[in-house]
Amino acid sequence: MLITWWYLYLAARSIAEKSLKMASILQKLITPLFSGPPEPPRNKVTVVGVGQVGMACAVSILLRELVDELALVDVMEDKLKGEMMDLQHGSLFLKTPKIVADKDYSVTANSRIVVVTAGVRQQEGESRLNLVQRNVNIFKHIVPQIVRYSPDCIIIVVSNPVDVLTYVTWKLSGLPKHRVIGSGTNLDSARFRFLMADKLGIHASSFNGWILGEHGDTSVPVWSGTNVAGVNLQTLNPDIGTDCDDENWKETHKMVVDSAYEVIKLKGYTNWAIGLSVADLTESLIRNMNRIHPVSTMVQGMYGISDQVYLSLPCVLNSRGVSSVVNMTLTDDEVAQLQASANTLWDIQKDLQDI
Amino acid sequence: MAMSTKEKLIGHVMKEEPVGSRNKVTVVGVGMVGMASAVSILLKDLCDELALVDVMEDKLKGEVMDLQHGSLFLKTHKIVADKDYSVTANSRVVVVTAGARQQEGESRLNLVQRNVNIFKFIIPNIVKYSPHCILMVVSNPVDILTYVAWKLSGFPRHRVIGSGTNLDSARFRHLMGEKLHLHPSSCHGWIVGEHGDSSVPVWSGVNVAGVSLQSLNPKMGAEGDSENWKEVHKLVVDGAYEVIKLKGYTSWAIGMSVADLVESITKNLHKVHPVSTLVKGMHGVKDEVFLSVPCVLGNSGLTDVIHMTLKPDEEKQLVKSAETLWGVQKELTL
Repeated sequence: MLITWWYLYLAARSIAEKSLKMASILQKLITPLFSGPPEPPRNKVTVVGVGQVGMACAVSILLRELVDELALVDVMEDKLKGEMMDLQHGSLFLKTPKIVADKDYSVTANSRIVVVTAGVRQQEGESRLNLVQRNVNIFKHIVPQIVRYSPDCIIIVVSNPVDVLTYVTWKLSGLPKHRVIGSGTNLDSARFRFLMADKLGIHASSFNGWILGEHGDTSVPVWSGTNVAGVNLQTLNPDIGTDCDDENWKETHKMVVDSAYEVIKLKGYTNWAIGLSVADLTESLIRNMNRIHPVSTMVQGMYGISDQVYLSLPCVLNSRGVSSVVNMTLTDDEVAQLQASANTLWDIQKDLQDI
Repeated sequence: MAMSTKEKLIGHVMKEEPVGSRNKVTVVGVGMVGMASAVSILLKDLCDELALVDVMEDKLKGEVMDLQHGSLFLKTHKIVADKDYSVTANSRVVVVTAGARQQEGESRLNLVQRNVNIFKFIIPNIVKYSPHCILMVVSNPVDILTYVAWKLSGFPRHRVIGSGTNLDSARFRHLMGEKLHLHPSSCHGWIVGEHGDSSVPVWSGVNVAGVSLQSLNPKMGAEGDSENWKEVHKLVVDGAYEVIKLKGYTSWAIGMSVADLVESITKNLHKVHPVSTLVKGMHGVKDEVFLSVPCVLGNSGLTDVIHMTLKPDEEKQLVKSAETLWGVQKELTL
């Protein structure tokens, strides 16, 4: 009996010595000047969903050096861990010292921005509206957890159909409408600016043009606003965007609408462009820039829309979220298109279960 | 005659032919590694033209369209792709990621002959259109395939670089950073030799702010080390297999490490990186093999090699790796 206690004592002493020895090795190198709990992150972003879109968003955000902590969440545990490890292995090349991931949403606590990419994706030929109820059910699980751990965050919804799902997120979260944003037509406008600029031989950022409304088949290109260096294209070509335009500029908008389907047909999904566009939005929000982006926001009361729907309009983004909306001068036809989109969206939304 | 909208808007005033790209990078292979490399290079603003090549035409077209759609957010005006290598003409750097990838549990050496055959098609095509480029080989087993690329291209050795242990060292520094609660860039450690199971961690060089950790812990890296640093190296070696098991492949870390190397080349940084180069005559290596040692990278390519002071058993490991690699290389039909 006594001998057992003696051996236990020796073992405990040896462990104590070892840990003292280990502590002293690290202590030899580093003298702490301040001890206390670690600082909470100041610029944390969470990405929900580590599919192709989620990871493209994550990598774009990391390479743009926007955050001091990145959290990833998903239900597929192995894939999630593998993606986190792969990003961590690149931390030498990054300026984001903490990259974490877990199935449990506690890992997302204190996020400034949460990017939601989770959900099922469009199959070849499937329209975005078809995905709705499938994704609503997923969001019923995700959104309350996000808000629980980051009650002050701004949510960017990317999953499709984005306008409907941004509405759903807003309802499920209870957050004020300026803190729930849909990635909307930010990508459509980027595609439009690329295609138009390419035709003119200039960089996309030098071509100004806005696509608003629904992110999808019925998006609205505002031809009256298209310009280069302030020179309005519609003034140069009054037929621009119409069917009687012999230069057929309308085709460019059609290419924007078709481009997602096209890329999906060729490579199975789209990810790089949407990832870059989400990082662009994140930058305006995190850096409090007051930049204007076409994103999906609650438009009830504007342009004669009486339903609670989310559609893309030019929004000023800063660290509070959508701080204001630019009042576009739209033609009657463009307003009618927005109203038609609003009706289509409300038609779907009113039938959604349990939100 | 009616002017087009473009003609009304824009007047062309330059009388000469346009200059063309000065910093073109080509990525061969649009799989996960190729695309991660492409995106990292684009997000770091390293080139004014990016070309992608692959044999899978639909996938290639889809990837290039997806990147082009992000042009608004990038500073690379020309992103092109084709199955035909003429699209790669006048590249400064060509990154080769093409080839079969490791399956779960498969070692890198197993891939060899499969990838040699692919290279016999790719390398001459690259050389034909960019005879002065710098070739960066990423496909595994990278040390052997860098040798193969060197032989098939006929390039001088300073223009054929293998991504080598740049990634292993990055993984090591990440793990070291976790252990010491420091950023990896403040943790210095070099893994050299073979990119793979027999890489060599140079414990004597591991330091923070110039303080050698081995001088604080003489048992570092050996058996009986209470801090078990040897495990850190093992985690580096196992790292790739682990990620492959979890997500099917690795992409992000290797993509970023490739962009890191391309940056040193295109910006002529003269930065030192552990990359795979011809090491015959160094550290007792007698065979014509490529292994990673610290090399100076700039716009001419790999111009200088740092002479490491290695312990006898570290040199022995390098010689042994060299012998293993040569054993495989001499059986290849090139």
